[in-house]
Amino acid sequence: MALPYPVVDTDIHNVVSARRIQECLAEPWRSRYAAGSRGPGHLGYWNPNGVMRSDTTLPDGSKLEGSPDGLATEFLGRYGIDIGILNPAGTLHMGLSPDPDYAAAVCHAENRVVADDWLTADPRYRASITIAPNDPHQAADEIHRWAGHPGFVQVLMCSGARMPYGQRYYHPIYEAAAAHGLPVAIHPGTEGIGIAYPSTPAGYPSTYFEWHTGLVMNYIAHLVSLVCEGVFIRFPALRFVFIEGGVSWLPPVLWRFDKNWKALRQSTPWLERPPSEIAADHVRLTTQPIEEPPSSTRCSACSPPRGC
Amino acid sequence: MSPDTRVAVAEVAELPPGARKLVEVEGKSIGLFNVNGTVVAILNACPHELAPVCRGRVTGTTLPSPPGEFRWGRDGEILCCPWHGWEFDLLTGEALADKRRLRTYPVTVEGGTVYVQV
Repeated sequence: MALPYPVVDTDIHNVVSARRIQECLAEPWRSRYAAGSRGPGHLGYWNPNGVMRSDTTLPDGSKLEGSPDGLATEFLGRYGIDIGILNPAGTLHMGLSPDPDYAAAVCHAENRVVADDWLTADPRYRASITIAPNDPHQAADEIHRWAGHPGFVQVLMCSGARMPYGQRYYHPIYEAAAAHGLPVAIHPGTEGIGIAYPSTPAGYPSTYFEWHTGLVMNYIAHLVSLVCEGVFIRFPALRFVFIEGGVSWLPPVLWRFDKNWKALRQSTPWLERPPSEIAADHVRLTTQPIEEPPSSTRCSACSPPRGC
Repeated sequence: MSPDTRVAVAEVAELPPGARKLVEVEGKSIGLFNVNGTVVAILNACPHELAPVCRGRVTGTTLPSPPGEFRWGRDGEILCCPWHGWEFDLLTGEALADKRRLRTYPVTVEGGTVYVQV
């Protein structure tokens, strides 16, 4: 499969061995982790198909996403992927634990395992620095710790949150990421759990189907907050990545955003140009799972401006 | 189906009800499924994004019902794609929630042997 451009998979959910994370934790966290306390718990929404692909069992019975070599050979190799960014499944929700110290410890242990077991396994691997935004200062420390490692190419945090991501509470994270030229990414799955608010402003939906469809509301709230609060004015080098949250909602939100800016910009005087232009310069979205309108030409409004 | 265009792909004994077998026929990956006594042959490519659909779960599904009621049925007749969860009727190839359908092939069983016409 020879394509005229490199193929980058922006969101590979490898599964980092819980045993290895445990080994990399110091006490008192190790005993806590070993006893099964691995986060704030889940709401119990159920995907009847499972969240992970179900056709990924290797000949020896192990799972593809749990094997650094297996994933490189059977996934990157098979699909002609030149660069694969690892966003480990399983630890993001620590960012919504009520205990920020434990969350920071588990994130650090996971980053250690990713660096030691995964980034060393294949030159095509890159990874996210997983952080827990429930303590932005510890999160910033974690970014500084790994930023010099060439395998870590972005910062990753849960999209479920207890306040919109533009607010000043979070700025130490953005300051650290911008200082190292690392984008900050968010990934869904944690909406409504732990110390987060319900996944929709209307309250808790009933099913996984409903929850998953409504995740975009949270993404819209974070995008509008990041722009309005002036995060990209304070940190001009910062880029923000919205992973796995769809793309079709972006154009109409930006149309609305620009229109409102013309009337209401005096409440955010630091926004000297339309929000859509700021978003185009600083925000990126990943495409999986992309919406599938009846005609693919309907997607043209989602195309990035020329030069992006 | 004329006998000379069909290909022997399995023994009936290999495919009891509920069983499946993946075979290669003329370069195509094809899944054989015994659906409650009826053997069907399906191209191992989901019409959505070409996933290896024949590696998906075989299950039942929730039948049409009023809001708040659940009726389970069609056990063993529904194939779920392992990538995006699309459900297909194994007996017809039709998707339950899309117009696209599985590519199916005629199957005959004769003398203890399963034949597929590709």
